[in-house]
Amino acid sequence: MTVTRAAVAEAPGLTLVARRRLLLSPIDAFFRLHPGDRALVKEGEAVGRGQPILEHFREPRTLVIAAQSAEGHQPVPGDRAAPLGSRTRDGENLDGELLFRSGGRWRVASGDRAEPLESPVAGVVHEVRPGAGVTIRSTANAIVGRTALAGPSWGKLQLATGPDGELRAQHVDVGMAGSIIVAGARMDAEALTRARAVGIRGVVVAALGIKEQRDFLASERRGRAAVHGLPPFGILVLDGASRRPIASPLMALFEAIEGGMVAIVGDPPALVIDDPSVLLPTAPPDLVRVRSGPLAGAEGAWAGLAGPRRFPAGVTLEAAFVRFGGRPPVAIPLGDLERFA
Amino acid sequence: MTSVPRALLAIDAGSATTSVALLGKPWKRWRLLGSLAAPAGAPIDELAATLAARLISTDPRLAVDLSVSAEMVRDLPRLEAITPPPQTLAVLGASRRAVGLLESVAARTPWRVRTASPESHDPREMTDLALRPEVSAVLVGAGDPPGPDERGWLDDLAGLVGAATRRRPELRVVLAGPVAARPAWAEGAGRPFDGSQDRIIEGPPLGTRSGPDEPLREILEGLLPSTDSRHTAVRALLSLADTLDRTIELIDIGLDGGLRAMASPGVAEQGPAAIAVRTAQAALVPREVDDAGVDAVLAWTTGSLDRHRMGDRLLDLREAPWADVSGEGARLRLAATRAALDRLEAHSLDIAAMPSPDVTIVSGGAFAVAPARAVALAIADTVRRPGTTQLAFDHARVLGPIGTIDDPDERRGLLTDLADDLLAPIGSLVVVGNVPTGRRTATRIGRITLEGDVHGRHELVSGEVAFIDLAPGDRAMATLEFRDAVRVGHRARKVAVQVSGGVAGLAVDMRDVPLRLPERRDRRRAALAAWGELAWPGDER
Repeated sequence: MTVTRAAVAEAPGLTLVARRRLLLSPIDAFFRLHPGDRALVKEGEAVGRGQPILEHFREPRTLVIAAQSAEGHQPVPGDRAAPLGSRTRDGENLDGELLFRSGGRWRVASGDRAEPLESPVAGVVHEVRPGAGVTIRSTANAIVGRTALAGPSWGKLQLATGPDGELRAQHVDVGMAGSIIVAGARMDAEALTRARAVGIRGVVVAALGIKEQRDFLASERRGRAAVHGLPPFGILVLDGASRRPIASPLMALFEAIEGGMVAIVGDPPALVIDDPSVLLPTAPPDLVRVRSGPLAGAEGAWAGLAGPRRFPAGVTLEAAFVRFGGRPPVAIPLGDLERFA
Repeated sequence: MTSVPRALLAIDAGSATTSVALLGKPWKRWRLLGSLAAPAGAPIDELAATLAARLISTDPRLAVDLSVSAEMVRDLPRLEAITPPPQTLAVLGASRRAVGLLESVAARTPWRVRTASPESHDPREMTDLALRPEVSAVLVGAGDPPGPDERGWLDDLAGLVGAATRRRPELRVVLAGPVAARPAWAEGAGRPFDGSQDRIIEGPPLGTRSGPDEPLREILEGLLPSTDSRHTAVRALLSLADTLDRTIELIDIGLDGGLRAMASPGVAEQGPAAIAVRTAQAALVPREVDDAGVDAVLAWTTGSLDRHRMGDRLLDLREAPWADVSGEGARLRLAATRAALDRLEAHSLDIAAMPSPDVTIVSGGAFAVAPARAVALAIADTVRRPGTTQLAFDHARVLGPIGTIDDPDERRGLLTDLADDLLAPIGSLVVVGNVPTGRRTATRIGRITLEGDVHGRHELVSGEVAFIDLAPGDRAMATLEFRDAVRVGHRARKVAVQVSGGVAGLAVDMRDVPLRLPERRDRRRAALAAWGELAWPGDER
């Protein structure tokens, strides 16, 4: 008997499989403002890609200044301490944010060498909260990831390898400079550092180990401390830490938008697609993917609930039948599956 | 037709798992008809419909009697416990010592704690912490009078927190001490503190030494939703202890936190009493996986994973707690559970010092999928209390939902009916303390005899764990005889204890109390592997 995809999709129980959201629209991209940082935009203002939205101090510090006792407008915490460019008698930059007043003196979050942060997406400023953050709402579609490191960043999307590939340092080519690359199943810290060095703007990868994350972030911190105006670079991790291929529905999305402008944002971790006119493919409703276990990465068609089953290590788990290709259905623990529709 | 429901749904919506149990009253008492759990976010109606379909296919007549059908099941009355994601508490003090005292209290609550003091952070960093969007409350404290180490910074701290309340009108603040009485508070907040703002709560000041922390903990827990499953489960535990007339301990390890509670039945005019510790520190996997967290899990593993790979596995477990729970994944999960139990034990020393309870109930996703013997061994490894206890598992996760019933009589009535169904017997655990020092090599130190056991006596060897088959529902008098005096509740050479059967049978633990694992990694792994072979099916490793 042939089981059609539509018939299988109607089988009960598919909704018990964890649903993975692929696309998000609109997206509220949040950019953190630390005390002392200055928002360069106002609520309701339209911003374009590359427009500075805030600036922060590369060398922040706390100043103590005497409070003015004059009548009239009394400053409150969160206000700017002084007009831009003001300096103390000692020549220190007075520009900063009032933190709190105690004993007739203000503590001011200030610093030197202000550095702008440019918006990676076009949108409208939804909210500005001094000391908290700036939220930009974009009506574009965004591909949702699990984690984003460094960034934000933007560039043209380029597929550097297949869904199961692993991009090594020697294969990171300077020809990819300026783009955000899709780097397959996993990437090591050396390849990430080289990607940054050759001018790649970002990496989208299925998994990134804890060691690679730490090594890269340490390298990024050192780089930013040493060089002023380092170009932006972001990493979007799609799945987790252990190696696994990029899911086919995600790969189909990347293939559909290859060559187009995209941006990596950190909160929420996502790849924002600039062009709203691109027709994005959708995953078949009965498609399920094994996200862990011996068959991790395999994709198949839903074939119904299997009930409680015994699995290795003597554990009994709720399971489901999944049909891989033309082979008979296999029982897989329900928790090991994910769906996309 | 009666308006009194004859079936209802008990729903426990945790941060990792959504569990639905179908309860019915076919005759004179409530019964557990089925339960089903799925990854968090699974639609409750779909889970309930699946349960109803299983009931209909198993016993259609019962389903008709209870008016349960796949279409109507979503309309059944519900008892619903919801565990929200943990919230973050910023703990601020004028000195490192003050922050340490406050942190020790806050760590025994479900809050995720972030600390800062002027001795470790500058005012900009402390303001940054108070203004972070994920921080939903601030605990700030000082001694009354302030200690010498606090006086220099207390005004700045008052001004800083006052300013934070002004900038974030939604921020809740707990004042543990006379912080708001400082003039700088009014400078920061823009108004003196007069107690009129509900979101600013006064608590007891810091003590110079550790004292009872209940008042401050109650305030902190009062800021969190009361529908939390770990909150309501304690209410159910109280009723259960009273119903069964037993001392009961509940140990729950979940993705975002843990619970340890001890309830004892009412005596004479006094009602049942409970002491409970809920802590985010006992999460199965901490939200930020650091080296200490990785090492804590590695200490309980027998595999060859290095620190980085273990970190990767823990990150994945944190991200998808439902995935990879068979095979090696099951062992990893139990190792992470042991590490979490260690943290729970460290934050509940007051409960650990109490005598062994009659019944120990384990609950939560950490135990949900492991073999019964592995669960018993995990408890024996970490909760080292000489004595005897019966182990049971809240397999359908109904304690939390039942705890949402406000009326204690109604709650007790339901638990009286369901007591046999809601607890799956794991077995009995006997932990023997004070095993003679000179006899810690693998030598025979005594024997155990089960009343009516056709297999006769079982030899007991120092430093080992013995599992003896005792079927669920069976009860027996176990007589333990030793060459030298040991502690099993009390010190004696011959002890007789009542034991109950379960899937794991009877476990007798003759290891050190507290457990001392070999320092050398290979020897430690060998010891863990030897004990693990008793608990895990050998051919499926």
